[in-house]
Amino acid sequence: MKASIRNDPHFRPLVILAACIVLLSAVDWGQWRFLSAATPFSTLQTFANIGLVALGLGLTMMIREFDLSVVGMFGLAGCVAVMTGAAHPWFGIACAIAIGLAAGIIQGLIMVRFALGSVGVTLGGLLTFVGLAHVLTENRSVPYDNFRVALLVNEPFAGLLSVRSGVSLAIFAVVALTFGFTRLGRDIIAIGSDRRAAMIAGVNVDAFIVGIFAFSGVCAAATGALLSYSLASASPAGLSDVLVPAAAAAILGGVSLGGGSGRPLGIATGALVLAVLRSGLNAVEAPPFVNDIAMGAILLTVAIGDGPYLMRRLRQLAARERTDR
Amino acid sequence: MPEVLSVEGLGKSYTGVRALHDVSFSLGSGEIRGICGENGAGKSTFVKILMGITQPDSGSIRIAGRARDIPGPRQAQGMGLGIVAQELSLAPHLSILDNIWLGSAGVPLLHRRQALRERAQKALDALGVGDWDLNGRVGALTMGQRQIVEIARLLARDTQVLILDEPTATLSDSEIERILAVLRELKAQGRSVIYISHRLGEIFELCDTVTVFRNGECVATKPVQEVSREGLIELMLGRPFDEMYPQHHANPDARNALVIERLTVPGMVHDFSAVAPRGKILCVAGQIGSGAAMVTRAAAGLLPDAIGRLTLDGKTLRLGSVPHCVARNVFFLSEDRASEGLFPPMKVLDNLVATRLYAHAPLGVLSWRALRRIATDLAERVGVDRNRLGTAAVNLSGGNQQKLLFGRTLERTEPGVLLMNEPTRGIDVGARAEIYRLMRRLCDLGYALVMTSSDLEEVVGIADIVVTMYRGRTVARYEGERIAMSTILADITHPAEQAAR
Repeated sequence: MKASIRNDPHFRPLVILAACIVLLSAVDWGQWRFLSAATPFSTLQTFANIGLVALGLGLTMMIREFDLSVVGMFGLAGCVAVMTGAAHPWFGIACAIAIGLAAGIIQGLIMVRFALGSVGVTLGGLLTFVGLAHVLTENRSVPYDNFRVALLVNEPFAGLLSVRSGVSLAIFAVVALTFGFTRLGRDIIAIGSDRRAAMIAGVNVDAFIVGIFAFSGVCAAATGALLSYSLASASPAGLSDVLVPAAAAAILGGVSLGGGSGRPLGIATGALVLAVLRSGLNAVEAPPFVNDIAMGAILLTVAIGDGPYLMRRLRQLAARERTDR
Repeated sequence: MPEVLSVEGLGKSYTGVRALHDVSFSLGSGEIRGICGENGAGKSTFVKILMGITQPDSGSIRIAGRARDIPGPRQAQGMGLGIVAQELSLAPHLSILDNIWLGSAGVPLLHRRQALRERAQKALDALGVGDWDLNGRVGALTMGQRQIVEIARLLARDTQVLILDEPTATLSDSEIERILAVLRELKAQGRSVIYISHRLGEIFELCDTVTVFRNGECVATKPVQEVSREGLIELMLGRPFDEMYPQHHANPDARNALVIERLTVPGMVHDFSAVAPRGKILCVAGQIGSGAAMVTRAAAGLLPDAIGRLTLDGKTLRLGSVPHCVARNVFFLSEDRASEGLFPPMKVLDNLVATRLYAHAPLGVLSWRALRRIATDLAERVGVDRNRLGTAAVNLSGGNQQKLLFGRTLERTEPGVLLMNEPTRGIDVGARAEIYRLMRRLCDLGYALVMTSSDLEEVVGIADIVVTMYRGRTVARYEGERIAMSTILADITHPAEQAAR
């Protein structure tokens, strides 16, 4: 295989995705539970739950930061959208996105102005947003009475997509094109690769930090709002399990916690891996914990494969084999 | 010569400490100006202000006759200024092409990639490296090659005033020659260069004029023909200059301490053998990439792939194990002090005693009284002011930081072996002389010193034994009177031609 293909940042996530599909197909062989028309739709629905959050979080990881606040924003934006968008759903979405944008900008500015790391600041953000959601909802679940909208956002069209998954895929496409064909993508990789070097080369590092955290806030808010609409309710503590899958999707997609690597389409593929796994295991009627074990095993394999030790040993063995021959 | 850059009364202080005071400076079109000074003299602050990385407290800057504020590197770039910084400003994860245009004010959001590729290719051609793959990742390049990409970046952006801060510290001789030739070519085109270097030979070889900084002030600007090497050093120090390299003490009873036999590091070192006697300095000389630096790393146990036989005082030294080496008093001093030597944010005291905490922790509880006593003693022995024990190591000059690393290796039950890569890299001329004296004192105590250096003047000045290397293989061994710069230079650059002669 050509080295240029092997070194392409999208190669590894695609291989993992293909491996998952092959494995699940083998498990399901002859029973047509995974290999059914319903699986792609349910996969994309799961993708819509985590994809955009993974994208925002992944971009912060690319610049060697980490946005913990996505969990809090996910829940808070859902509550805001449900409480303000019963009569005017667009207004509810706009309110949620405005809060996500403002929160991201404020957190970014705090980091830049006071030269602070993102983990501390966004941990503060997370707790603040969770607290705010409890205050706004008076500590209870809020129903969303506009059932027409609740049904509409999950309504399948073309047998494959819903409003939620369509929005996610469209945003991924725009971000991937921007990343690949404008200066912005390279500047982001440069900041994660060596922030000081990027600054001396002329990149406006501070503006990028603020912008990426704002984008991450918007992604988490939009996803939380649409998911709450689709569930026809919001709860201040109901949507807290998004961080681990989102981070896992980013890592599977080739993003490194050390910064400087990863691509938006890689993150999309990483999120698809998790979505396929979840939908596929549901389809083959595996117990729920199997999903966690499978996800953990894949992440561990990726981490070991990324580590220098295994690669060095493999190279040594290959060299020894060549010498023996 | 029309003036392209001038500075009047520039001043800058950091938390009350004066870094620059009333500096005035002017640079003509097509002029190459050397800047010299000890570490902490204000050179870096001056350059940072010119590039907009730091803002001055006072003074004014004029570029091509117009008074300008420089709020950031991007704006400096737009005014025709560009820097090759001491710590390179390249993103290892990006390609050469992307690094050349990274942060460029001249690249719009949506750009024609082919046009940028052509201009980048032209810049590489001008530097004689037109065969490099523009899509190749910078992370895979050597430090010397990265330096050349930095210069290509300035050429591609049509920079009028190039600022080079210690550009040759990590380069091989052939790479240095190439860069000096390019700078002369740029001068002929009417571009101006500010060239900061501790290597005085390059200042005399390249520059038209030289400006000396001392204690944050600009103390002299002279044509290089009007100043001697010694005169320049005295201007930098502000006092008469003693001999740079201390006398070699004859030590006829020198026992062989470290014996290296058939050391091989796959792809880097092949079949290297040498002996480091106690009381002497063995220098492994070679260009960057010759494998010289890998010899000391392997001997320090840092390379798990290394094979061969090493003995210390007749006992076998296990390869690939740092704790084993440290337990036998074999210590390594890296060429990269900041990331492989010091704990920069920690205090001088903590850095000095970092490797001996277990020896002063009865029942696991640290005895700070004992550690402080030892740190004070060590600081005095290596020449670091004892009043600075509470200062963070990052705030010390490069010379003092290197002394801390030497300090860690002292006060052992018996003298050990010091393996050093580029022991005076980035260290100014005054501190260098102190480091050389310290190295000799360690020899007198019975230490065996093994060092690598890409500075040939240093190799000839300080080494008792020199082993030359070329592309991973040993070329020759010289001792005493036979050590000469011309033969070493020939060995490490073109050994085949020399053999043919």
